[in-house]
Amino acid sequence: MNCKKVEKLILRAFDGRLHQGEKKELEAHLKQCPRCWALQEEYQLILDTLRKEDFPEPKPYFWERLQPKLKEEKRYEPWMVWKQWGMRAIPVSLLAIIFLSAALIFLGPPRVEMEVSQAFSQSGLLLLQNQNMFQETTI
Amino acid sequence: MEEKDLVRSSKEGNEEAFASLVKKYRVKVFNLAFSLTRDRDTADDLAQEVFIKAYFALPRFELRSEFGTWLYRIAINHVRDFLRKTGRMKRYSLDDIKESSIPQEDETMKKEKERTEEHRKKIIHRAIQVLPEKHQVILTLRDIQGLSYEEITKILRISPGTVDSRLHRARKLLREKLAPFLSQKGGNHELQEG
Repeated sequence: MNCKKVEKLILRAFDGRLHQGEKKELEAHLKQCPRCWALQEEYQLILDTLRKEDFPEPKPYFWERLQPKLKEEKRYEPWMVWKQWGMRAIPVSLLAIIFLSAALIFLGPPRVEMEVSQAFSQSGLLLLQNQNMFQETTI
Repeated sequence: MEEKDLVRSSKEGNEEAFASLVKKYRVKVFNLAFSLTRDRDTADDLAQEVFIKAYFALPRFELRSEFGTWLYRIAINHVRDFLRKTGRMKRYSLDDIKESSIPQEDETMKKEKERTEEHRKKIIHRAIQVLPEKHQVILTLRDIQGLSYEEITKILRISPGTVDSRLHRARKLLREKLAPFLSQKGGNHELQEG
C-alpha cells in the first residue's frame, strides 16, 4: 500500500468509516512506516483539539431579546408594502372604471354598419321581397 | 409537545411554541456561528438574526425535512453571507499568531499545559479561517459540531461522496497550513510557534 492511500485511510478511520480489511491494512502499514505514523499523530492532535472545543455561552435572555425584534420585523414584513399599494390601487381602479363608463356613455358605442338581415325581422324581409308573410303559418 | 407540533403551532403564529424551538436550538445555532466567526458578540447577533429569518420563513417550511436540518441550513447560509459581506474569510493570517508568548519556565506545569493547549487551539482556528469557505464549513460541521455524514448531506444538499472528498481535502489543507507549526519533539507532536 502506498503512503498516499494511507493518508486517505487515516482520515476515514477518524470517522469510523473503514471496513475490517482496510483497518488491518492500515494498522500493518502504520507499524512499518514511521512517516505515516507521524502523519496520523498530527491529524489526531488537530482533530482532538477541534473536537474538544469549549464554546462560550450565548448571551443571557436570548428569547427576551429576540421577541421584540420579531414584533418589530412583523411591522415591516414585505407583504405589508404590497398591502399598502393594494389599498391605494382600489380607489384608483374605481376612478378608472367610472371614467371609462362615462366615456362610453357620452361618446356612444362605435357605429357598425348592420347587415340587412339583422336590421329587419323575418316578416319584414318577406314583405320587402313582396311575399306573403303568413305563408309560413299556412297549413 | 413534540417538535413537529411546535413547528405547526409556530407556523400558525404561536409565539410560545416558537419560543420553545428557540430554547431548544439557540445553543446549537450560536455554537455554529461562533465556530465560524470566533467572536461571542457577533455569534450572538447572528444567532438572533437566524431565528428572525426562520420565524418569517416558517410559513414556507413544509415539514418535509427535520426542523433542525432546515434551521441549520438557514444558519449556515446566513453566517456565510455575513462572512462574505464583512470579508472576514481571509481576515486572519497565521503570522498574527506569532505574537503570543512562549510559556515561561517558572510557571507551574498545569498552567503551562493549559497555555499550550489554548495556544494550539488558537493556531488551529486561525488556520481554519484562512481556508476556502466550503472547507471551513465542512470542518465546522463535522469536526467541531460533530454532525454525522447524513446530517451534513441534508444540510448542505450534497452527496455523501462529496462530503467524504470535501472533508478529506479540508483536513489535508488544514494540516498543510499548520505544517510550519507542527514539529516533532520527543515523540510528541506539538504545535509550536514559528
